[in-house]
Amino acid sequence: MGLLDGLRAILGSRAEADAGRDADPDDLFGMSTAYLTMEADLGYDSLDVGALCFSGVDSSDFRDAVDEVEAILEAGQEETGTGFSVTADDHGYHWVILEDDDPEDLITSMHFAADTFIEHGYGSRLLAAVFAYENRDGPAYWIYSFRRGRFYPFVPRSGRERDSSAEFTLESALDGELEIEREKEYWYPLWPSERGTHPWE
Amino acid sequence: MNWQADWGLRFRMFVTMFLLFALYIVFAGVITAYVGGGLLLFGLMFGGFSLVQYYFSDTLTLRSMGAKTVSADEYPQLHASIERLSQQADLPKPKVAVVDSKVPNAFATGRNQKNAAVCVTSGLMNSLEQDELDGVLAHELAHVKNRDMMVMTIASFLSTIAFMMVRWGAFFGGGHGRGRGGGGGGIVVAILVSLVVWIISYLLIRALSRYREYAADRGAAAITGNPSALASALLKISGEMDKVPKDDLREEAEMNAFFIIPIKSGIVGRLFSTHPPTERRVEQLRDLEREMQSF
Repeated sequence: MGLLDGLRAILGSRAEADAGRDADPDDLFGMSTAYLTMEADLGYDSLDVGALCFSGVDSSDFRDAVDEVEAILEAGQEETGTGFSVTADDHGYHWVILEDDDPEDLITSMHFAADTFIEHGYGSRLLAAVFAYENRDGPAYWIYSFRRGRFYPFVPRSGRERDSSAEFTLESALDGELEIEREKEYWYPLWPSERGTHPWE
Repeated sequence: MNWQADWGLRFRMFVTMFLLFALYIVFAGVITAYVGGGLLLFGLMFGGFSLVQYYFSDTLTLRSMGAKTVSADEYPQLHASIERLSQQADLPKPKVAVVDSKVPNAFATGRNQKNAAVCVTSGLMNSLEQDELDGVLAHELAHVKNRDMMVMTIASFLSTIAFMMVRWGAFFGGGHGRGRGGGGGGIVVAILVSLVVWIISYLLIRALSRYREYAADRGAAAITGNPSALASALLKISGEMDKVPKDDLREEAEMNAFFIIPIKSGIVGRLFSTHPPTERRVEQLRDLEREMQSF
């Protein structure tokens, strides 16, 4: 806890400041080389899909921001070929889901979407970016936390179990390549609603 | 999405803490001059006790409130909400506890972020909609984030010593006086000073507590992005609160400081209450909502 954070806590404005802190989407580009490592060194296949998770705000200005994100992705679709959709999950959170078999394009589109939220002043509503992979044991995700500015692995197994040894392997293999969250109590899961689906479904 | 900072609130909080601090310096000075060694022992003893209590505040508070820590299997929806809200608030997930009580209420405790616990009553979960419940949970998480348990413990520490002095000061009288006022006379002065310090600090602490409620409301609004839901939760809870009998929880007056809405015990002036009146809080939240809609 830095001096400023301490002062904010004493004056009771830390919760407000931290919950309203903007995101830095440039970190997402860290994922582009990770794709190679995941496939070449670790034997994971990219599922060619990524998603942005954000929490909504009940105001027309926020809805405008979401509309613009869709418009920008629509416009970019011709150039990058990135397919997209916007959905809501059971927890009342929203997702922008992007599909592209070129990881570079996928990340660029995701960056565009995140940047649009930030431009509209809603960077603080961005919760996470999720990148999906799989191997013979099942799916594995890299989650980027916009609140923390760090990546962490998430390998769900049936019955709401996490495969911690697979997560450990991913953490060790990509250490140095990605900015990894050191404090494991921030490795928040994003459970899929049902078995065999993705967190955003 | 950022609201305009409430500088007035920060300023009032700062002034209150400054006055408390100044008062405590005076108190410490007078007491050392008149009581000296006796107080040192007393202070050490009490300080140790208070430190232990603060250190174990998560488990102690939960136990004293009859709260039970619950797992994600028992309360999946509650856990899921707290998980998402903690993520948004940039907090590790706190312990989740439930009190089996019809009184709709919630509180947070614990010495720091990593040892925090958020507790709700079954009555709260039954009477609120999901987004209202999220508002209340976010308010409690804001308390954790703002380190209210620590701030209030430190703020109350010397006040409690002053209170003890008033009650038990006579025992530390004879022999310990450093001569200037003589043993007997000195202790009388010390007790009188303690009484004044206790009364003033009590009022200041209550004011500080009210300011921190406003701050936690703002924090909750920033976490959920939905000030209206918290406002409607507060209105619902305070309405419910008037209907139910209050006697059984009166003993927990100390804990009131961390309740979302305090248990009312008879007629107490605004100066004496730990929480601001619900209407004022709702008004502040309405301002945030208005500001948000006009971005």
